[in-house]
Amino acid sequence: MLNDIFNILLPQMCLAGFIILQLILSMFISPRYYRYARLVSVIGISLSIILLSAVQTEPQYFALKNSLMSDCYTSLFHFLILVCGFFTALLTRNLVKTIKAKAYTFHAILLTAIFGAMNIVSANDFLTLFVSIELLSFSTYFLIASAKGYYSKEASFKYLLTSAVSSGVFLFGVSYLYGITGSVNLSDIYEIVASQEPSVMYSIASILIVLGLISKLAVFPFANWIVDVYKGCESSILAFLSTVPKLALFGIVCRLLVFPLSAGFELTFVIALLSLLTAFWANTYAVRENNVKVIFACSASANASYALLAASLVSVYNLSTVIFYLMCYVFMNIAVFAFLNIYGDKKPLSVNDFRGIFHNNHGLAGAYAFAVIALAGFPVTSGFIAKIYLFSAIANSGLIFVPFLLALLILTVVALYYYLKILLPLFAEYDKNTETVSLQAVFSQKFVLIITALAVLIMGVYPERFIELCRFIAYNI
Amino acid sequence: MDIFLSIPFLIFIPFVASILLISPLFTNNEIVVRRFAKGVCVFHFLYSILMLACFDSANPYMSEIHFFGLDWVQSMGVKFIFKLDSISMILAVLTSFVFMIASLASKFNIRRNHKFYYSMFLLLMSAILGIFTSADMFVFFLFWELELIPAYFLIGNKWRETDEEDVKKAQNSAIKFVLFTFLGSMVMLLGILLLHYYNYVSNGILSASFSDIVDSTIPDSIQYLIAVCLLIGFGVKLPIIPLHSWLPDAHTNAPTPVSMVLAGILLKTGAYGIFRFNYETLPNSFSFIAPVLAVFALVNIIFTAFVAYAQTDIKRIVAYSSISNMGLVLLGLCAFNQIGLSASVFHMVAHALVTCGLFMIAGIVYLRCKTRDINTLTGIASVMPRLFGFAVLIVLASIGIPAFAPFISEVLTVIGAMNSDLSDVMKMCAVFALPVLILSSCYMLKFLHNGFFGETAYEKANDITVHEFLVLASVLAGLVIFGLFPDTILGMLK
Repeated sequence: MLNDIFNILLPQMCLAGFIILQLILSMFISPRYYRYARLVSVIGISLSIILLSAVQTEPQYFALKNSLMSDCYTSLFHFLILVCGFFTALLTRNLVKTIKAKAYTFHAILLTAIFGAMNIVSANDFLTLFVSIELLSFSTYFLIASAKGYYSKEASFKYLLTSAVSSGVFLFGVSYLYGITGSVNLSDIYEIVASQEPSVMYSIASILIVLGLISKLAVFPFANWIVDVYKGCESSILAFLSTVPKLALFGIVCRLLVFPLSAGFELTFVIALLSLLTAFWANTYAVRENNVKVIFACSASANASYALLAASLVSVYNLSTVIFYLMCYVFMNIAVFAFLNIYGDKKPLSVNDFRGIFHNNHGLAGAYAFAVIALAGFPVTSGFIAKIYLFSAIANSGLIFVPFLLALLILTVVALYYYLKILLPLFAEYDKNTETVSLQAVFSQKFVLIITALAVLIMGVYPERFIELCRFIAYNI
Repeated sequence: MDIFLSIPFLIFIPFVASILLISPLFTNNEIVVRRFAKGVCVFHFLYSILMLACFDSANPYMSEIHFFGLDWVQSMGVKFIFKLDSISMILAVLTSFVFMIASLASKFNIRRNHKFYYSMFLLLMSAILGIFTSADMFVFFLFWELELIPAYFLIGNKWRETDEEDVKKAQNSAIKFVLFTFLGSMVMLLGILLLHYYNYVSNGILSASFSDIVDSTIPDSIQYLIAVCLLIGFGVKLPIIPLHSWLPDAHTNAPTPVSMVLAGILLKTGAYGIFRFNYETLPNSFSFIAPVLAVFALVNIIFTAFVAYAQTDIKRIVAYSSISNMGLVLLGLCAFNQIGLSASVFHMVAHALVTCGLFMIAGIVYLRCKTRDINTLTGIASVMPRLFGFAVLIVLASIGIPAFAPFISEVLTVIGAMNSDLSDVMKMCAVFALPVLILSSCYMLKFLHNGFFGETAYEKANDITVHEFLVLASVLAGLVIFGLFPDTILGMLK
């Protein structure tokens, strides 16, 4: 046990320690010092990132009776999750200001969510996985609901309902798989499944499991929640919601697709079809929307579906493209939501609220525009390379997937339309009768926006090292 | 000498200047901004002329950029590699020239937001030069996408005091342009990805350079699929007829210098793409598709000539005539022989010059008379005699009168198509194309007749200024020089 902790669990344990610290502080510290909650979280996450270097990755390490594992794949995802958590914690300034007395509790919940997300990636049996998913989900309900106002409560409740349904579907699949193999351990299931003929039951079980998991990525049958939830969320929570659960779920779904669920071919077609439907739904839904957050919700759903399509055609190359895509994607998203955070979201943000904002705020609005351009996939941003690399994976998977790819490519043109809808008002002339907005940003918000925008630029100009890293990790899974 | 002549320098001068212009550190003074941009363009033109003078077609310029010792995306075999062979060289110099005269023409047409305008203008220049010089498919695609952003702003922004309705129209046509081109480029990306992958599978070379692609080992059906995907992508830009509907709107609603650039250079990127990808890299499938494409080219020539005749807006007439002329360029490429190729490249140059001149004239008329409707315009000749002189000469050049460049290229195109070995369809196309060229004189002379002759309605209008004179004179000089000495270009293409 102690061995396990020192070999692979140090980052998680560090986070757990800081969760307890936050809870203790919330009992004893006066609400006047609410500001320091953010500082404690940031320190905790940074320490955890540093401790990540002490984790054993080579060879694979199985801890706590094979229920958790660690290799370089999980380490990379842990790193990305922690970085996203770090940026989110920095962005929570405005939110914490409104809930002063509960600041420490809020940050404890945020850390718990990150802790849950880390455990999802390193889970090596279905029970651990389920518990970790619930840990992430429950914390997320509270995070969403923590903002003032009616909409956040509504969003939180909707998220709870869909998560509950999808958990049920997931558990149902797991029970079937347990019935076939008599184990919940991923490595054991893989060994048993690989040695026998895949049955119909197995296919149904694997489809249900994956359906239950990907509903958190807003894939088609359970996709509608994302619109309402994003509408009601505070922007710093959105920065969290659009990155951390996505990384965690992609981390585990890719591993499941490569190992225990790899025996049947039906799953591939089901996921590919669902992701195509999702891309169609999300992109066409966003075209007629004017609410910025809803547009980004649809964009999140659409982007997840592109990556999922590549992930479903299991191969090492495809896996590396998916990892690279996620790596690029989280930074763009955080940059976008950092800007929305700076702008402040007291009312629903319409695309026309940003009219002419570039003229007074060159740096901030420029970075935001750059991130949106990256999401649309234009060159000199990481979005361009990531899209090409991801689509090359689908193109390499055989002629049968060329129609899928063509459909996705045409849908990205639809996506361009709504990204332009966000982008163009920024540069428009402002009317004489509306007052000019000059944004006030504190250092932490500026820091997040600039760093993520820089990351988008660097990964766009000099992608080779990052792609190499992704290939290394995909080969060593 | 060689160390001073490098392709990256050629491409990235405008890029660096563009970044410099948009940065907050650069002055807001419009005169300084304009002169700086003009200076960059003139310097760039001189530099490209120098490169042309030192050009040796047996030993073309090559250059490769490494990123800290690595290729750009080594895992996909993508190298940041540039090459200037004779066609690229001609088109690069042409780009430089057109942007130079467009920057001169900007003075009276752009009245606000100078920094942003010139920054986007130079960025577009850099992107187009990148398209013409890249020797790697993905680098080509990078520049192909990069060009969309500045092109959008150049067409759609409000660059002078106009009413809201015009701005709205310009924005809509800019969005239309971007969506059309992006759709084309996404289909093209599919073609590029498939080509990249199947070249790797059948030849074992993980590379995206044009020189590493061998099409003969790729299965036939996949070759055709790739070729059609690529042709759709380039067909939007060229444009080939069913994909053309963005062009008249974009060209009409853009300010004059931007129209010059769009018609003069941007359309040529489509033709260049067909040459570089389909003609040169995938000759097997192209020789199969070319006769079909030639029919499309013929439709381009005939159909748009009739449409142009029905138009009343001067800029729309010129825009439709551009589509018609690009059909001719396409026909030359489809001939799939040396004469056809030379004719095609020559016509790209000739048409760029003609169309720049015509858009300039349309712009001048619009500035002075506040309208572009040929039914209301009348008698400009008596108030603006010097403009009239240029207009007559350039219109005559555009309808293919001997001693001007378009005459040579039109005749050569038809000869090329006649001599084509591919199919009898080509000969049929050639037979129809020649008489149809007469149609161009119908709409062009209508424009000249309605606009310039008759009773004048204008008391007093300023004749052309020095800037406008320089633009028109340099266009005319180009047309006459290439008309009288076609060997300057044709010699390079042998």
